[in-house]
Amino acid sequence: MNRIRRLLTASIALAAVGLVSPVYAQSKGKIYYMVPTLLDEFQTESVSSLTKFLADVGYEVVTLNADNKTDLQQSQMNDTILLKPSAIVLAAVDFNALVPSIEKARAAGIPVIEFDRQIKTTMSDFTSVAGTVEIGYVAAGEAQRLLKEKNGSVKGKILQVLGDPSDPYTLDIQQGFEEKMKEFPDATIISLPALQWEASNAGTIVSDQIVANPDIDLIFLHAAHLSVAAVAALEAKGKKPGDVMLMSSNGAPVGLDLIRKGWLNVEVEQPLYAQAAAVAMFADKVINKQEIKPGKYTVLGLESTVTMETWGPNIKIPGAAITKANVDEARFWGNLKAPADKITPVE
Amino acid sequence: MTTPRQRATAEFVLDHLVWFMLAVVLIIFSAFVPNFFQIGIFANIVEQSTFVGVMAIGLAILIIAGHMDLSVESVAALTAMITGILFCSRGIGLGLTLTPEWLVLPVSLLIALAIGAVIGVLNGFFVIRLKMNAFIVTLASFIWVRGLVVAISGGRSAQDLAPSLRVIGIFQILYVPLIAWIAIGCFAAFSFIMTRTPFGRHITLIGGNAMAAFRAGIKVDRLMFIAFAMAGAIAGLAGWLLAIRTSGATANLGIGMLFHAFAAVVIGGVSLKGGVGKLPGVYAGVLLLSSINTAINLMGLPAHYTQVIQGLLVLAAVLLDTLKLQIRQRFA
Repeated sequence: MNRIRRLLTASIALAAVGLVSPVYAQSKGKIYYMVPTLLDEFQTESVSSLTKFLADVGYEVVTLNADNKTDLQQSQMNDTILLKPSAIVLAAVDFNALVPSIEKARAAGIPVIEFDRQIKTTMSDFTSVAGTVEIGYVAAGEAQRLLKEKNGSVKGKILQVLGDPSDPYTLDIQQGFEEKMKEFPDATIISLPALQWEASNAGTIVSDQIVANPDIDLIFLHAAHLSVAAVAALEAKGKKPGDVMLMSSNGAPVGLDLIRKGWLNVEVEQPLYAQAAAVAMFADKVINKQEIKPGKYTVLGLESTVTMETWGPNIKIPGAAITKANVDEARFWGNLKAPADKITPVE
Repeated sequence: MTTPRQRATAEFVLDHLVWFMLAVVLIIFSAFVPNFFQIGIFANIVEQSTFVGVMAIGLAILIIAGHMDLSVESVAALTAMITGILFCSRGIGLGLTLTPEWLVLPVSLLIALAIGAVIGVLNGFFVIRLKMNAFIVTLASFIWVRGLVVAISGGRSAQDLAPSLRVIGIFQILYVPLIAWIAIGCFAAFSFIMTRTPFGRHITLIGGNAMAAFRAGIKVDRLMFIAFAMAGAIAGLAGWLLAIRTSGATANLGIGMLFHAFAAVVIGGVSLKGGVGKLPGVYAGVLLLSSINTAINLMGLPAHYTQVIQGLLVLAAVLLDTLKLQIRQRFA
């Protein structure tokens, strides 16, 4: 009985230690980061980079994971508003459904910073994005180049494997990609979604399509982790690196590895580190309600542009196309070499 | 008045209804869906049935036994992730190698089976010993095991599985990869166990009426423990196969498969009330769902239709189950 009691006491003590947040002596305050999910590498790395960069400028970050559930993220927003943090960094699960929560937070005097996922239908205090539609544009440019190199002109068959069809992130990329590809009627696009961003669903799509349409020239997957399953499916069909051109987006480590192995031709990177660094650079200005001036800013070496939009100040950081030629550059977050230099706030 | 011949025919049709449905669906798709009618597509259907199929075996056994296991999907994800972490060479993979190299195969399989069995035993302990509700216990496992997957992976993925394991996903016999043959083998083995061994017959009896089975001298608790461990181990096998197919693991691998497995079990004729059901029917259910999924892929329809069709199929299966009972009574 005593042993059980001791065990219980120890468990409660351990739980208490786990629940108590670390004390930051010189913290300017707490910033809550609403991460949409922790099931992909971009998001997990966004947690560590935001935590590191915001700590550089004096803020403590508390992360809440919404598990890709809109209602959960809405509840988290409501709870966080009651805690009156210095600011909320939001990577919205659903771009529209979170609008009332953003407005509620701002009405309560809590600045809201949109991270990675741009919300244009309401005012935010700051937005740091690469632009999901723009990722589609970059991908379209690369697809055109690859098709031209292979077929002499922009013609051929493209299989586009989307993420979950209820995720606006993937729909935006699709919109950007198809908008730019529309100019080339000889390029046929077959678009199919991998439900819940689940890798084996992407593998299934690829293995079905490669049998039904053996003349597919290029496969474009909306996340690097989907391309791993796609490669496995191609391998199972006897394909070798280079037999089918592959492209994916977000710049995760798996994508970079596949480039090195010769399977993936292009990975369109979301500049995660720069996006997170921009949040830290402008955090003081946002929290102290100081003016953010439009113009060019250099964020981790990337020339970025702040514009005043109808939804508030917006910094757009250019995404990059990663190929075999530049895959090892440290600036790509997929190489997991977060910049060690301290971030300094914008004057 | 029905003749014995008519009755036998009706019984046969009712017992194998899902196979007839599968045949009809395949004929319709072959006739109307472009590029569907070819060996490669049929091989894909069989291959894609592997994971949900294997997962559905354990689930079906427990439902036949009068319980259920909602944790199978997360258990599969956990064993896939552990296989990935141990035997993948990139991402969070540790790239463990063994000498001789082929040892990776039995060792990784044993690890996956053992992890699955441990979680199954844990579920069994709460349900059998502590008399807790199986739905709640396994729902809790569904949640905490998935949480464990995220925790041990840190949300990152493992890729580039050891070639000695990948070969199972690539090597083909009659156009069908070895992993699919493993699933077929599992269905054959467990169908035999469920119909031709005292264990299987007793499990079915327990599902029909646990009290009557107990009074007949059947060791109900012991057999239920074995069934839970078995369901866990089979889910572990599904995860191992999943890791092989995707050449690694991501934290969200297998997400949503529980519902497909459940749908397959119900469509396959397993009664949720327990005591009724045959594993070949479950396999037909899995093949049916996989065929529909493939046809939707080929037609380029939005994936939402798969979910709508699956939902309607489950509803139809339950309706048929009720109708079957009435038809049987009429022929009796």
